[in-house]
Amino acid sequence: MKNSNLIIILKKELKELFRDKKSLAMIIIIPLMIPLIVIGMSALFEAQMNKDVSKYNRIGFSYELSEEESNLALNMNIEVINGTEEELEQKYNNKEIDLYVTKDNTTYILNYDESENSSYASKLVESFYNTYKTYLQQSYLQEHEIDGNEVLNIITINTKIIEKENNNFFANYIKNYAFLFIMMAITVSATYPATDATAGERERGTLETLLTFPIKSRDIIVGKFLSVSFSSAITGLLSLALAITSLIIVKNMFTIYEGINTLFSLVSIIFAIVVIIAYSLFISGLCIAIASKSKTFKEAQSALTPLNFISFFPGMIAFMMNIQGSLLISIMPFLNFTVIFTDINSGIFKISHVLLMILSTIIYISLVLTYIIRQYKSEKVLFMK
Amino acid sequence: MIEVQNLSKKFIRNKTKKEKEEFYADKDISFTAQNGEIIGILGPNGAGKTTLLRMLAGILEPTTGSISFDELTYEHDEIAIKKSIAYLSGNTKLYDTFSAHEILKMCCNIYQVPKDIQDKRIKEIVELLKMSTFEHNKIANLSTGQTQRVNLARCLIHNPQYYILDEATTGLDIISSQIILNFIKEEKTASKTILYSTHYMEEAENICDRVIMINKGKIISTGTPEEIKVRTKTTNLRDAFFALTGSDTYEE
Repeated sequence: MKNSNLIIILKKELKELFRDKKSLAMIIIIPLMIPLIVIGMSALFEAQMNKDVSKYNRIGFSYELSEEESNLALNMNIEVINGTEEELEQKYNNKEIDLYVTKDNTTYILNYDESENSSYASKLVESFYNTYKTYLQQSYLQEHEIDGNEVLNIITINTKIIEKENNNFFANYIKNYAFLFIMMAITVSATYPATDATAGERERGTLETLLTFPIKSRDIIVGKFLSVSFSSAITGLLSLALAITSLIIVKNMFTIYEGINTLFSLVSIIFAIVVIIAYSLFISGLCIAIASKSKTFKEAQSALTPLNFISFFPGMIAFMMNIQGSLLISIMPFLNFTVIFTDINSGIFKISHVLLMILSTIIYISLVLTYIIRQYKSEKVLFMK
Repeated sequence: MIEVQNLSKKFIRNKTKKEKEEFYADKDISFTAQNGEIIGILGPNGAGKTTLLRMLAGILEPTTGSISFDELTYEHDEIAIKKSIAYLSGNTKLYDTFSAHEILKMCCNIYQVPKDIQDKRIKEIVELLKMSTFEHNKIANLSTGQTQRVNLARCLIHNPQYYILDEATTGLDIISSQIILNFIKEEKTASKTILYSTHYMEEAENICDRVIMINKGKIISTGTPEEIKVRTKTTNLRDAFFALTGSDTYEE
């Protein structure tokens, strides 16, 4: 059999991997973080949405309110606190009031910082003065025997929200972050087996034994690469399954998902699986290349730590800046995987982007593997100084 | 037949924190080893024995010189040579999570031992090296001696023509050590070529047909143990070594 040695190495690596408790824990425990993140973020958004803003109603006034203003304040549940500007400033700094208003002739000044409490209070007070302003305008027009409704409603503005499938900020936000965490989980789960299979094997002294066997360096490296890719792909697919399940669960748990379809279509699941497998292969090759250059297990782990951040940040930036997929982005490592993920979430399925991503990943992996194979042909792999 | 010609290996080491220097672990080593011969490679720690044997096993690349196994060279026939040799050092490690049986099975597959005779071959070796009590135990749970016997067993699995044994008995108990020495003697009768490095001079005197004494990377004497003793007018190889080096200690 032509590739029998490759299969022997692959079997050996997988046996070692699945017998090692730490590796197993990495493969299984990391995906369990995904439901926690999805549920946690949903709960956070729900809390934010349902926040009782009426309690941010302690408003200071440096002038005596008119009867109309007092009635309006009572109707709008505003707690009126009177005082001089200095007293109100003092109370504001002591957090006894959420905002205070000063007056200069017909100009009203709302004094507040950009804290969350004051922002809610400012909206309340703006609404209060808009209502009061309308009241004054109508009174003035009535005094001059002019139909207030005709003047004030000279034009009418109505808003109509266009219903779009999956056009829900929260659902997309959580779905995108779930995908980013899947990528991070794949990276984290690739680093340990990659380190163990290269620097770990050297440190334990078994690499010398392996190199005395009549096996080509190519078979050794490809065998190790496939085993690491296999374990990280399992983590990725497990994470995807848990992300999908979590989104189904949170739909029934939280009101923010009302009327929103959190389900993934079959096409998006297939696309996501392709991206997960491609990313697992890419990151495994990269991890093995970096770890095999390290003298010790510890050194390899330190060298691989930045990869966890690199795998997360391009996606986060792409998501925040709303970067859309393009042919160029499809060949940019790291960014291509995350942008295709966000496109999938937005219901955009571009076969050309996915094919380019696969092709470029194959090229990157081939380059990385060629580099490692060359390294394993040299004695330096055993006797690194 | 193994033929080694003008073999040298240069390394770079730190002289001071900033300065580096080149040094030869082995320099101009030449010898031949015929089939059915046990050649002892003798010398103190740091003499260059391990570097020499690692070059012969294909783990290290020589800086200059050549090695051939029945006219096969590493440049052109690496896999063919590795199929015909067995390399065992005192530092050779095995996979902790595997049992002895699993390791032997894996080696059978690597060396392409036919499937139908693999179990029979493993059974023979297990009996020969008295491994039946721990055959299915994980390597992590075995003693040093037992692990080294598994190591020797994996070397035997493909019935190699050449044995490269580097300090194979170092640190072993008497029983494990004797099993290995008996095995070496038996393989000689089967016309195998054995290169055996040790710093136990008495052990070498008992089993080697010829010895190559190395000090500071250079051959200082070769011949049968008797020839060396006569040449140095000594009664044992240990004294012969001191006579040849003019030193009174055996450690570098």
